[in-house]
Amino acid sequence: MRSRRGRAKEGPSRREILTGGLLLASTLGCKQLDEALLAPLRMPEPATGPFAAPEGAAIDPVRHVLNRLTFGPRPEDYARVRALGHESATAVRAFVDEQLHPERIDDTPGERAVRRLETLRQPAGELFEYQPRLLLDELTRGTLLRAVYSRRQLYEVMVGFWSDHFNVDSSKGDCKWLKAAEDRDVIRRHAMGRFPDLLRASALSPAMLWYLDGRRNRKRAADEVPNENYARELLELHTLGVHGGYTQRDVMEVARCLTGWTVRSEERFGKGRVEFRRHWHDDGPKVVLGRRIPAGGGEQDLDRVLDIVALHPSTASHLATKLCRRFISDEPATATVAEVAETFSGSRGDVRATLRAVFESEAFAASAGSRFKRPFRFLVSALRATGARTDGGRKLRDYLLGMGHAPFQYPTPDGYPDEPSPWHGTLLWRWSLASALAGGRIAGTRIDLDRLRRDLGGGHGFRSHLLGRQPAPEEDAADGTPEVELALLLASPAFQRF
Amino acid sequence: MTTLRGSFDGNGDRRRCLVVVFLRGAADGLELVPPTGEDGYYRARPLLGVRPEDALALDQRFGLNPGLGALHPFYLDGDLAVVHAAGSEDSSRSHFEAQDLMEHGGLAAGGWLGRFLRYRQDPAPGALSAVALGKTLPECLRGAPAAAVMQSLDDFTLGPESDTLLPRLARLYAREEGELGRSAHDTLEALQRIEALRAEPYRPTGGAEYPQDELGRSLRELARLIKARVGLEAATLDLGGWDSHLAQEALLEPLMTRLARGLAAFYQDLGSDMEATSVVVMTEFGRRVRENASLGTDHGRGSVMFVLGGGTRGGRVTGAWPGLDESVLEGPGDLPVLNNYRDVLAPVLRRHGAGDDLSRIFPDFEIDPLEV
Repeated sequence: MRSRRGRAKEGPSRREILTGGLLLASTLGCKQLDEALLAPLRMPEPATGPFAAPEGAAIDPVRHVLNRLTFGPRPEDYARVRALGHESATAVRAFVDEQLHPERIDDTPGERAVRRLETLRQPAGELFEYQPRLLLDELTRGTLLRAVYSRRQLYEVMVGFWSDHFNVDSSKGDCKWLKAAEDRDVIRRHAMGRFPDLLRASALSPAMLWYLDGRRNRKRAADEVPNENYARELLELHTLGVHGGYTQRDVMEVARCLTGWTVRSEERFGKGRVEFRRHWHDDGPKVVLGRRIPAGGGEQDLDRVLDIVALHPSTASHLATKLCRRFISDEPATATVAEVAETFSGSRGDVRATLRAVFESEAFAASAGSRFKRPFRFLVSALRATGARTDGGRKLRDYLLGMGHAPFQYPTPDGYPDEPSPWHGTLLWRWSLASALAGGRIAGTRIDLDRLRRDLGGGHGFRSHLLGRQPAPEEDAADGTPEVELALLLASPAFQRF
Repeated sequence: MTTLRGSFDGNGDRRRCLVVVFLRGAADGLELVPPTGEDGYYRARPLLGVRPEDALALDQRFGLNPGLGALHPFYLDGDLAVVHAAGSEDSSRSHFEAQDLMEHGGLAAGGWLGRFLRYRQDPAPGALSAVALGKTLPECLRGAPAAAVMQSLDDFTLGPESDTLLPRLARLYAREEGELGRSAHDTLEALQRIEALRAEPYRPTGGAEYPQDELGRSLRELARLIKARVGLEAATLDLGGWDSHLAQEALLEPLMTRLARGLAAFYQDLGSDMEATSVVVMTEFGRRVRENASLGTDHGRGSVMFVLGGGTRGGRVTGAWPGLDESVLEGPGDLPVLNNYRDVLAPVLRRHGAGDDLSRIFPDFEIDPLEV
């Protein structure tokens, strides 16, 4: 266990920085005080360019791939990605390659942005020493700051995808403490890896054992009935899909296989640790999806079940459908889904290979600008598009709550919906955010509008950058203040789509 | 005035608003609603007991603390129900644990009010369907389809440029069809209503005078929002400071006055809108029956709940009452919980459109609704 004192030595203490900031502020005057106080988060400096805005009448392939693989382009992104290849098509391929290998991307900005959020690095056992509200605050901030600043954008997008797929509401029981560890040790660790590894990590995650009652799934006596909650969601949501060909009998058999796995919750020592209690396990023979699991398997039953479902053809098709929905369109063509599912199966559940199949499909190329941004993406894309410097703090989280899309707060296991209709009622908050961001009225978040316009070569380039294409006549009104213009662009129908 | 549609639909005369006031810190039910008919009460509280002649009579058994006197007329009119020996099954006597469990409605994901908004019949979530008056979202609203933390109506505007932005937004969205276009239309109308309300100073009606404290100001903003008819269905407010381990009377008297005067002003201000507005007042647990040596009381079990307006079957103290005989007290000498808070909330939620089946709102609990 690392000592707290040891960690504090990594950099100047908050107190030192605050004091320094105040001294600095006394010589700089009031306006800089905020900036000085925000400095501890080490927000990245604005990019130096070169800059360019798209010039097509419609969204071009470079902008499209930026829209979909990231949380929205930053001012410098279009020029950078376009320069990755001689032809636009080679540039797109190079960008997909880059983003499929996050481990090769230097991510100083993303790492710096969350460096001060110490709970993100705490081992699971130590999380119980913190207030749940602080844990949720830091986890939410970390998620937001990484989405805004990380250069491993596709990775962050996939972290969001899996957080929905393996949804755990941080408000239930000990998930208040355990979700923070799960985000790191399950979702982030395997987000670009192999699906079977991710699935196993999730099945044995203390937060999941709490959230879907796996911890209470036990058979200590002949008349004790296993808790089916996790078994059902494992089949319905995490793997095969609701029409994936399993029966109620299969749910019950899977539940039997998983009896005995639990998480310590009362003990003073080892609280939050996952363990297998043999005397809680139903050790009789089982049949899952027609496959026999012999008696006496004990804790091995879990791996047998996961082996049966992780790469099942229904799982391939279920995941392919969800990925195509997330990255292509709300109603992806059957043929596209089938191609992606085939790659998933052929690669034995390799997430990168599967994603590559999505991005190389014809349907992907043809889908530019057709998806409706969910609130989290709307908010992050606005911050990225404006090159905002933000501490990811309370005000932004309040906007997400207002729009019903705060991370880790969705109660049911199906995760925040992907389809647009539940999100259409959030315009009030989107417009309010657009206006507040443009007017500099969000505490802890700043934009430099003059610089942004200058970098993009003036009003026209600025508008094209925000819209991803040449503005239409009604979007090209240059008769307001720059703040009004920015508010309208961020609030416009075009900015709600990607 | 034009009728609002879509996401702000039907607030008008149909939509109902549920207001939850949480008394944080474990309010002493025996001080708020003293059992003036119980000898045991005066034996256990020789110094703190509220004397019968000081209390405002509710029935043969109970009186209302004079500090809550502003609520007494509503009780007499039959619009205020009181439930004694109310609380949750949590016996930890820990503020954090008990509030947490009560607000989540058991060991479940999300809060009970959030689940109500998500699962009620005919849900049409609008951007302003739920607000928390204050600085943070309470746990009971977790998982709501949308929940806004607000301190005043000013939080719902497009800022100083609003007049410039609104017509241009209307133009930008004019060609949008389908749901997004309808939502834009509704949002524009709602914003115009809010702007109109903000443009003139708010004048409460019915002779209401809100106290100049945080709860009073919050209730005033809430009344304004309900009258704006923007689709509000649930609101939460907190009043903290009830943890009266010492000098209880001095601590509770001003809190009770704030609570009662605030709610009375809200009630008068809303007038006939009160028929569609319910107010529930609750707390995490009550306090030890016997007073301690510091003229205070320690953590206990059962407390009181109040239900006001919205068709409440009031004018009486409802639910089982065990008396204060030593033999019925629980643990270290606490009023047992005979009336689970869910059984008090159940009929209120049904009046607000929750439907008959409340199992998704209160999982793992068999509802036995009280008559409130």
